[in-house]
Amino acid sequence: MNEKYSIPELMAVFLARQLNDGEVLRVGVASPVPEAAVRMAHLTHGPNMELVLLGARMNVAHLETIPMPAYGWDRRVVRWAESYSDTGHRFDRVKDWSNHVFFIGGVQVDAYGNTNLIGVGKDYRKLRFRGPGSVGTPTLSTHVGRYYIVLNNHNPRVLVEKCDYISAFGYGRGGADARAKLGIPGGGPRLCVTPMCVFDFDEGASRMRLASVHPGVTPEDVRSATGFELEIPEHVPATPPPSDEELATLRTRVDLAGRLRR
Amino acid sequence: MNTRRRERIIDEVAAGGWIENGMTIAIGQPTPMALVRQIIRRRVKDLTVVDAGFSLDLLIAAGCVRKVVSYYAGGGFGYPVTPMFRRAAERGEIEVWECEEGILCAGLQAAAQALPFLPWRGAVGTSLPEINPDLKAFADPIRGETLIAVPPIKPDVAILHAAHADAYGNVRHLGGPGWIDLFMYRAADRTIVQAEQIVPNEEIRANPWATTIAAADAIVRAPFGAHPFYSRGFHVQDNEHLKAYADAAQSAAGGDRKALDGFLDRYCREPATHADYLERIGIRRLLGLHEY
Repeated sequence: MNEKYSIPELMAVFLARQLNDGEVLRVGVASPVPEAAVRMAHLTHGPNMELVLLGARMNVAHLETIPMPAYGWDRRVVRWAESYSDTGHRFDRVKDWSNHVFFIGGVQVDAYGNTNLIGVGKDYRKLRFRGPGSVGTPTLSTHVGRYYIVLNNHNPRVLVEKCDYISAFGYGRGGADARAKLGIPGGGPRLCVTPMCVFDFDEGASRMRLASVHPGVTPEDVRSATGFELEIPEHVPATPPPSDEELATLRTRVDLAGRLRR
Repeated sequence: MNTRRRERIIDEVAAGGWIENGMTIAIGQPTPMALVRQIIRRRVKDLTVVDAGFSLDLLIAAGCVRKVVSYYAGGGFGYPVTPMFRRAAERGEIEVWECEEGILCAGLQAAAQALPFLPWRGAVGTSLPEINPDLKAFADPIRGETLIAVPPIKPDVAILHAAHADAYGNVRHLGGPGWIDLFMYRAADRTIVQAEQIVPNEEIRANPWATTIAAADAIVRAPFGAHPFYSRGFHVQDNEHLKAYADAAQSAAGGDRKALDGFLDRYCREPATHADYLERIGIRRLLGLHEY
């Protein structure tokens, strides 16, 4: 494995490359990799992006550095805001969210991109693990043009065939019309990025498949760390690692405190 | 006949008396901790609480909570879920009314507008209507689409923290009007706002567009009243203090309540007033929390 960069750094740079100029990027709390990715994209190729961080909407492409927050509820990010929307008014214009992008995590993620922040255990009244709750993810995932599932851990307890509970609907039990038949307007999850690999979704079945493995990881490693049955194509490319230039931008203009290297 | 306009300023001890056993209370953010501490100090029981994060966890730790209208119990400081919420929920010691931000706001709005429900699309296809039977999927009568009917969420009292208020209940926020605070205010029977500063009524009249809450029922003077959380425009959160709570709560969730009970005594039960609490925290600590 290349030791020049950390896995969270690789994930952040990979995600930054998926984001297009002009898009509105929404990041929730406690998401360091997406926090870094949206700042990186804004600086490198997104002068017309808008970042929505803790309710504050901003374009800060003119800044030399866009430092990451020191901790999840670091309110000082509002110093960049051009406007502000509280939780209650956040969803006032969801009709226009086709170019909005969101990032989502989960205590469980299933093969069809459904995510669970509610908890683990068959009996809801006696959960084995009580999760933090859905936050705004059910509504955000319903309306954004697309979203990315970003995980801090890759193991068979997190990546499961079927979530015990669904807090954000991905593609249900699969099929190309899984969302349309429920009248859910947003485009759904585009990719799932883990510390081992990137999954995309098969167009017909809307089921996760292996798109690339991070340097040093084999497809077999991914299979044994994944709780659902995984089809592995004959040729699986490596996730392109960050270039020296991208890494320099990330470290000197975004992640000044080295949060992604800890 | 008395022709003088009634002033609404009361102190935090009197305001704490508004919260009675079994009530439904909504707690805003910035977090009105001076009032939360009075609730704990008075050992109020069986509350239904609309809240998130460590203030919710503290109320559960103090034994004040029977039911939580819950959308986010995320922690921090190494605890992705706040420890006492997690313990109480896993053991069935509290009831969880599972929702999310959009549904919570729809329910508060339904209460404010005296409607039996408001429709919501977010959460169609999810488990929320199964684990919370009060949320009902229905076919809308106009286009036949599946939507969720969200019933009213009606707090008896909303408790909020803001930057400025005058003596008549006019409130002004700095840096944005809280998160769900305005919805809580509109839905609740009564609202208490604790303010960093009481300002003259003339200052409110100078810019009425800046008034975010028009008629709070009571105003409490509480500089640093959101400590240990942030107060927008005044100070950042006190991470050291919050981490001390989080670690004590984690030990208690593991079965050892000693540190947690010590924390509750020291910071919530022993200080009789907000001023007593601030003296206990210390002026240097408080002044070290400046925003910039």
